[in-house]
Amino acid sequence: MEVIGNVRVARRDINPKAPAHSPGVREGNQRTSMIREPGIKRLSRFMAVATARRSTGVNPRARTPIDPRMPVLTPP
Amino acid sequence: MQTTVDARTGRNVVEMSWDPITRIIGNLGIYTKIDFDNREVVECKSTSSLFRGYSVFMRGKDPRDAGFITSRICGICGDNHTTCSVYAQNMAYGIKMPILAEHIFNLGEAAEYMFDHSIFQDNLVFVDFCEKMVKETNPSLLDKANRTPAPNAHRHNHKTIGDIMRSFNPFEGEVYKEALQMSRVTREMFCLMEGRHVHPSTLYPGGTGTVATPQVFSDYLVRLLKFIDFAKRAVPLNDDIFNFFYEALPGYEDVGKRRILLGCWGSFQDPDIVDYRYEHMTEWGRAMKVTPGIVVDGELITTDLVDINLGIRILLGSSYYDDWTEEETFVKEDPLGNPVDKRHPWNQTTLPRPQKRDLKNGGNYSWVMSPRWLWKKTGEHLALDTGGGPLARLWATALAGLVDTPYVRSTGSSVIINLPKTISSGETQLEWKVPRWANTIERDRARAYFIAYAAAMAMHFVERALERVYRGDVKTFEDFKVPDDAIGCGFHEAVRGVLSHHLVIRDGKIANYHPYPPTPWNASPRDHFGTPGPYEDAVQGLKIFEENGPDNFKGIDIMRTVRSFDPCLPCGVHMFDGRGARVLEQWHSPMLGTPQK
Repeated sequence: MEVIGNVRVARRDINPKAPAHSPGVREGNQRTSMIREPGIKRLSRFMAVATARRSTGVNPRARTPIDPRMPVLTPP
Repeated sequence: MQTTVDARTGRNVVEMSWDPITRIIGNLGIYTKIDFDNREVVECKSTSSLFRGYSVFMRGKDPRDAGFITSRICGICGDNHTTCSVYAQNMAYGIKMPILAEHIFNLGEAAEYMFDHSIFQDNLVFVDFCEKMVKETNPSLLDKANRTPAPNAHRHNHKTIGDIMRSFNPFEGEVYKEALQMSRVTREMFCLMEGRHVHPSTLYPGGTGTVATPQVFSDYLVRLLKFIDFAKRAVPLNDDIFNFFYEALPGYEDVGKRRILLGCWGSFQDPDIVDYRYEHMTEWGRAMKVTPGIVVDGELITTDLVDINLGIRILLGSSYYDDWTEEETFVKEDPLGNPVDKRHPWNQTTLPRPQKRDLKNGGNYSWVMSPRWLWKKTGEHLALDTGGGPLARLWATALAGLVDTPYVRSTGSSVIINLPKTISSGETQLEWKVPRWANTIERDRARAYFIAYAAAMAMHFVERALERVYRGDVKTFEDFKVPDDAIGCGFHEAVRGVLSHHLVIRDGKIANYHPYPPTPWNASPRDHFGTPGPYEDAVQGLKIFEENGPDNFKGIDIMRTVRSFDPCLPCGVHMFDGRGARVLEQWHSPMLGTPQK
């Protein structure tokens, strides 16, 4: 039983310092994405940009698009 | 319904109360004394009977959870709380979010404004203005409405004002039904950006988890254009009905009128300028696309967020709390060296004292505290209100003259909104001019214009975001470490107005956390100086235009006034009334499978 201010609050279920990450679940923003992930091109040690491969799973040449501008894949 | 003689003024008054009020969010009770002989409301008290205790139980928690916990304060504006909490945490942890993350936040918040304002205005507020309601309260007004042609009929396809009123009828009217469809479209827009409505799953301090692909922004843009089509018809429709009320009921300007005391804490950060450092808060506050500001008697007295922060005072006087003057002072000076008062949220300790409601003898009658803003120049504690949200935002932005984008521009006395071409109409320009009064009608009108404002700003953000995505930008999240000791404050505009989160971290855990949403400002009871809160002030002295006598009185003018403020009482009170609740059986503790001690 803890008292905060003048209110009795119940016993906590978990210690706030318990780990927030479950081992084995991969986190975003990790550096290996820059090296391994298809669709990401590494420019320097800390900078990476997306390539056209990231924006869509469609292979445009196999679909013979009627307009050379379609589909809009980023970046050019 | 007894007529008694009011002790203070000697008039014959009937006591009438609306508790709980419908078509708002949460528990709000309005207790009034009405003088039917002179058709005026003599006294008004605004009460709330719900307490939940966020500022009590947040202490001791991991600060990274703050956004998720405070989101549950409200079931309609929970994302505003998460966003504000993220801003406060960014300041405490010293993070600058990536540009794409800022755009995603802004787009999500714009979608929230579009969703909430249109559903509240068309499905909840307009039921007070619909044909069925007007027939019961002002039948002669309805006759006049049926004969008056609508000036903007060519834009919204309703020939007469009576037609407009019929399309507000619940469940049958066209506007009512279309607004429900639009609420789905805007919710989808929101979920694209923030993962889930209302409690976002992809907003964290440091950025977002939304994957920024062209697909996400194109989906958003498609729905946005659909919505802009609706907004272009909604704004002239709102103008027509509200101008009709002014013409047909002369004197309606006084309904809900109060002294112009508006506060806006700013929204839509500029990604290039904001860095969430307190030292630079003045600059990035002024760069926001909804300018923060305080308007007193029609004049903008400040746009400086540091000034605004230091002036906040939480007073008691009619609230069920003990004073905290003996408790710990967490923050003596802000990062710029300015002294911080004991009554500032950084130093507040919530000490609830449940008691019986006492409306008669100057006792306590509400769970809402009395936030006020201290104006250094005169030493007054101003009872700021938000005008329901949009009124304060538009007014502060219009007067400040700082916003200048191709879609929205502030001119110093008005806001010009440019909406692009859509399915049923071409490019349209709308202009919201600063009104002469802060009354019920202007608050409702501002809500319609703000829908257009949010839609126009969303166009701007989508274009900027797509530009960055087309150049290959992928980063939406910035890593951070939680410091052991820090303070932070976040300023944002919830749908209904000002929202601030003040955070103190000690030893890696939250030592003090106080969210101040708009409704404590609006629904505040009388403070110890005797200043009434905004609802009380706006309803007191209100002239009654309803044609019913005391026996079948609906109080429609009072209700229109209270609803024009868009009350949201879960945000108004951070408390839940649980006297000796026992935990009967605990089934599941959602702790992500981590071992429980």
